[in-house]
Amino acid sequence: MKIKLTTVVVLILLVLASLVYIFPIYWTLVTALKTSLEIFTYPPIFFPTKIDLGNFYQPGNVFGAVSQTAIGSVPWMINSTIVAIFATLISTFLIAAPASYALVRYIKSVWLARLILFMTMIPEAVFMVPFFLIVIKLNILNTWWALIITYISFTAPFATWLLMGFFNDIPKSVEEAAQIDGLSPYQIFYRISLPLIMPGVVAAIILNFISCWNELLYALILTYSPFPSGAQTVPVFLTSFIIVEKSFAWGGLAAAGVFTMLPTIILGIIAQKYLARGLTLGAVKG
Amino acid sequence: MSEVVLENVTKKFGKLTVLDGVNLKINAREFFVLLGPSGSGKTTLLRLIAGLEEITSGSIYIGGRKVNDLPPKERNIAMVFQNYALYPHMTVYDNIALPLKIKNYGEEKIKEKIKTIAETLHIEDILQKKPSQISGGQQQRVALARALVRDPAVFLLDEPLSNLDAKLRVEARAFLKSLQKEVGITTVFVTHDQSEAMALATTIAVLNKGVIKQVGDPYELYTKPMDIFTAGFIGSPAMNMIPGKLIKEGSSWKFLSDDFSLDLSGIKFDNETETILGIRPEHIVIANDQGLNAKIKNVEPMGAVTYLEIKVGNTELTAQYTGLVKLEAGMDVKIRFVEDKMLFYDKKTEKLINY
Repeated sequence: MKIKLTTVVVLILLVLASLVYIFPIYWTLVTALKTSLEIFTYPPIFFPTKIDLGNFYQPGNVFGAVSQTAIGSVPWMINSTIVAIFATLISTFLIAAPASYALVRYIKSVWLARLILFMTMIPEAVFMVPFFLIVIKLNILNTWWALIITYISFTAPFATWLLMGFFNDIPKSVEEAAQIDGLSPYQIFYRISLPLIMPGVVAAIILNFISCWNELLYALILTYSPFPSGAQTVPVFLTSFIIVEKSFAWGGLAAAGVFTMLPTIILGIIAQKYLARGLTLGAVKG
Repeated sequence: MSEVVLENVTKKFGKLTVLDGVNLKINAREFFVLLGPSGSGKTTLLRLIAGLEEITSGSIYIGGRKVNDLPPKERNIAMVFQNYALYPHMTVYDNIALPLKIKNYGEEKIKEKIKTIAETLHIEDILQKKPSQISGGQQQRVALARALVRDPAVFLLDEPLSNLDAKLRVEARAFLKSLQKEVGITTVFVTHDQSEAMALATTIAVLNKGVIKQVGDPYELYTKPMDIFTAGFIGSPAMNMIPGKLIKEGSSWKFLSDDFSLDLSGIKFDNETETILGIRPEHIVIANDQGLNAKIKNVEPMGAVTYLEIKVGNTELTAQYTGLVKLEAGMDVKIRFVEDKMLFYDKKTEKLINY
């Protein structure tokens, strides 16, 4: 079998590129499994000699200056899960799906569509102060709603923008057939068009869930205690490992990082499948 | 069963006039074909009847009821789209059931109706499959089933055969014709394929640039096309068109072209004019002794017929000979036109002037 030189070069480049993404994940995982001694060894150890689960769970542990292991993240995890699920579902089904459908089929305004795309590009920090004031006025500081409302500000425009592309791909004749079959515009939307773009909806949900899950800035300023007393999320919990009394709890941070990464990695893999399927959505025979 | 009447129907998209004062009467139970090249407005006309487009001026009546302002679902029509427009996320059964569910038919009634229609269309064994899992021909039958299951008053079809391959198309054509006869629904069928129109229609309306050129049964359209467009559009290979002049000599008339002249013994005209002579390929006869001198340029034996490309002077003509014939390119022959099949069109108005 002859292998072309270009194929080999491309393959090597791809492997190098993927290493850039995979190595940090690997490094986090190994660090989490190392003992504190091996973490600080120089030159660094790439393959730990023995697996230590102490960073994940240790009754009455002490690591550096932080008396925390990854298992301690559970109260924050609960908050993260609830906030991410609500923010994502509300923005996808109550806002983005109807809005994008209306934009594609009825309003057809290019400027409005561009404005929505623009909304997804504004840095979070811009809204930091206004959101803080709004949350104070609404008296919802340190609650799930404070985060859900602020997260919708970026999940809704993103999902709207994403779903517009999917709605655009639905052949008009399918909706016209439904119209002739006697469906009202509302029935056409939820019985025909929305089910047809399910791959897109799932992709939007997963991508938005991941960005809610990873969100740090708003959570940092709008919440101050973990579940059950407050709504602090996992990214904030992770910061507690970084500088506490001038010490870095690398092992605990890495272990908690692995914990937090899991849902996003799993969802990322699923999202990829749905995105690919969404792009090849075969509504009618060509 | 309803008739469809169009009165002075005009449709404009912005400044573009797509249909201009169309008058048509489609009788109940008729298989009516709208025939025209792309851009002739035939699909727009169908969509106006369906209610998918708004009419600019004029009126449409279905079964005696004015439907101008009624939405599609209140017009009691069914439509089959060129790409079938099946609902890809539903099974074949659910595709057919949807219009019935919307009308609030009971579960039992729906089952019964689908069973009957599935038997008629031979799709009983694919009811649980998704549209992407069945063939193009089957998808087309499902689209027909979905349309017919509601017992519509008018059945609209927008080039439903054009996505099928050639062999399947001929099969589907025959099936469609017998199906229409069986269910007896007023049918309006849009196509750009004149042979499809000829094969299916009880009545054909020829459209060009938003105007109805001629309405008639296939026989009439073929033997007596009233203008040059219809004459050229119907029939394959196309009718030969020879420009020339009509001249009176004594009491008889003569056709004079650049390359030849013909004495017309049996045809009379009102006055001398510039004309275009139309003659179908099968009405050009290879004569043994007397006739016009011609040279054979090309021979296409098809089996049942043979097409001959011949040249009289600089005029190129297509002739059709029934059966196989021993002729070769380069041979000199004599040809004759069948006189009572010759059609003369006024060069300016493009209208038929004999008959």
